Amino acid sequence: MLKSQSINFSYDGTHQFCFPDIQLSKGEELLILGKSGVGKTTLLQILAGLLKPSSGLLEFNGAQLHNLSPKESDRFRGKHIGMVFQSPYFVKNISILDNLLLSLYLSKNNKDKKKAVELLEQVGLGHKINSKPNDLSQGEQQRAAIALAVVKNPSLILADEPTSSLDDVNCKKITSLLKEQAASTKAQLIIITHDQRLKTQFNKSIML
Amino acid sequence: MNISKLSWQNLISKPLNTTLSLLLMTFGAGIISLLFLLNNQIEQQLQANLRGVDMVVGSKGSPLQLILSSIYHIDNPTGNIPYREAIKIDNNSLVDLAVPLSFGDSYNGFRIVGTTHHYPELYEMSLNKGRLWSQSLEVVLGSSVAQIHKLKIGDTFYGTHGLIEGGHVHDEYAYEVVGVFNPSYTILDQLILTNTQSVWRVHNHEVIDQGEEYHNGQHHNNDHKHDTEESTVTMLGPSSSVPEDAMITSLLVKFKSPIGLIQLPRKINETTNMQAAVPALEISRLTNLLGFGVQTINTIAFIIIIVSGLSIFISLYNSLKKRRYELSLMRVHGATKWQLVHLVLQEGIILSLIGTIFGLLISRITLLMIPLFAEQKYTFVSFQFYLLNEELWLLPVALLIGVAASLIPIILSYNINIPKTLSNE
Repeated sequence: MLKSQSINFSYDGTHQFCFPDIQLSKGEELLILGKSGVGKTTLLQILAGLLKPSSGLLEFNGAQLHNLSPKESDRFRGKHIGMVFQSPYFVKNISILDNLLLSLYLSKNNKDKKKAVELLEQVGLGHKINSKPNDLSQGEQQRAAIALAVVKNPSLILADEPTSSLDDVNCKKITSLLKEQAASTKAQLIIITHDQRLKTQFNKSIML
Repeated sequence: MNISKLSWQNLISKPLNTTLSLLLMTFGAGIISLLFLLNNQIEQQLQANLRGVDMVVGSKGSPLQLILSSIYHIDNPTGNIPYREAIKIDNNSLVDLAVPLSFGDSYNGFRIVGTTHHYPELYEMSLNKGRLWSQSLEVVLGSSVAQIHKLKIGDTFYGTHGLIEGGHVHDEYAYEVVGVFNPSYTILDQLILTNTQSVWRVHNHEVIDQGEEYHNGQHHNNDHKHDTEESTVTMLGPSSSVPEDAMITSLLVKFKSPIGLIQLPRKINETTNMQAAVPALEISRLTNLLGFGVQTINTIAFIIIIVSGLSIFISLYNSLKKRRYELSLMRVHGATKWQLVHLVLQEGIILSLIGTIFGLLISRITLLMIPLFAEQKYTFVSFQFYLLNEELWLLPVALLIGVAASLIPIILSYNINIPKTLSNE
């Protein structure tokens, strides 16, 4: 259960972002649409606990996220939140599989190698598990990034413009993949984007 | 996959940078370590060849030259002293042992030294084959001489005038090999020993060869040494056999007690035409002189180590700038700030420590290879494969440099701004 209430944020004290309230129950999906510059990424980072709101309440599965210290917030994010970014990020000196295992190690989850391999097979990268991130194509990298975000079974998946650099076919594939993965772990999924193509694929959406 | 493994992966994935940092560190540490090892070897060699000789008496000149030529056989002698003057010293009651040395000839670069049987006794030489000389022109070879020139018992050879190859050959007198010593790892391995009369004879003194040396080791039990009848017949035999103007090169002296050291050198220097030099003093003067050179090279090597630290820093800093988003990503995965510090610090420390260990290894390999290239056979007193005390501080210094080089990259990664890094694409 995710609940946010009258969240405000300001980078410099003069320009204020006011965000609409969000309420999301287990297994639900939400699309947040907005143009550039309205604070989409800022909101995502607040939800991830990377930025602290100036005011307002943020509650997730009973935890008061706005009250956590930076350290507690890091630990909480590591354990419960998986993130997908606009451009896929990896630790580039190690293989895709090792990236997944590193994520499990850092979030203090069991290093279940079999599960990580299965997950990569599910996203269609079974033949590339030992490749370095730079050796993958853009579409493959985006799929690997999703696997990396969900490998630790997060209860919340946050995706920041996951489709904006993809063509229609891949856009659809990635969105379904995200939805599939969220559903299989009963995670809540929030996608923040300016990509109007996604509108039709989500029941619940808000405009910023 | 964990932080330590990731650290290794990062090092391996930039082989050029890693190699450069490692090479610099290896060179710096290697040079310092080699200097320590050489210093240690030289000191051991100096001590091993000293054999308790308290004083060397020779012709006036540089005392250091006298010591170098008479004990280590690495310099030209200062000149000659009259045999009759020298034996007076042996008669002094403070003297325990006096060994005359006469040299000036050589065989293919190896010195021919005329002396008494006390000389090999002083160095605890043992015979590998044959016997000691019993009459003039019989020689016993040091192990290196025998090995290099493949000489065996019964072989004969001619000496050359001078201490280097290519001088006038004394071809009227042939030396005959009667014995070969076992290796002693002292300078005697590189000498050809004979009796003093041989040297005189080759240089046209009219020596009445006594056939046998008057003395042997038992003489210096000292019970009867200072009987007046015998006081003029020390060292070589009845004085009648010694020509009036006979000369020797120098006299190695051991005292009975330290009082000798206080009285005799001064007395000789002040009242005779000879010079007395104290090896202990001259050697400490020599090592001080060497120490200055060692200090200079040490400073240069230390600068190389600092440059290596700089190279480690630049390598870490550059790769960190490129990997900022990577570190942010790891933080998003749940890495703590200290895990990132660990990641960066480990790279720096691995480079500096492995470089130092390579350096310590390479200095030892170099030292082992020196004898292969040296002209004369160089033998170690004892080879140190374990660390010298002086080398121990290299490890903490390496550690310190690793930490110092990682410091700024560590601060950067500790303070990394995750949201900014991840949204600034």
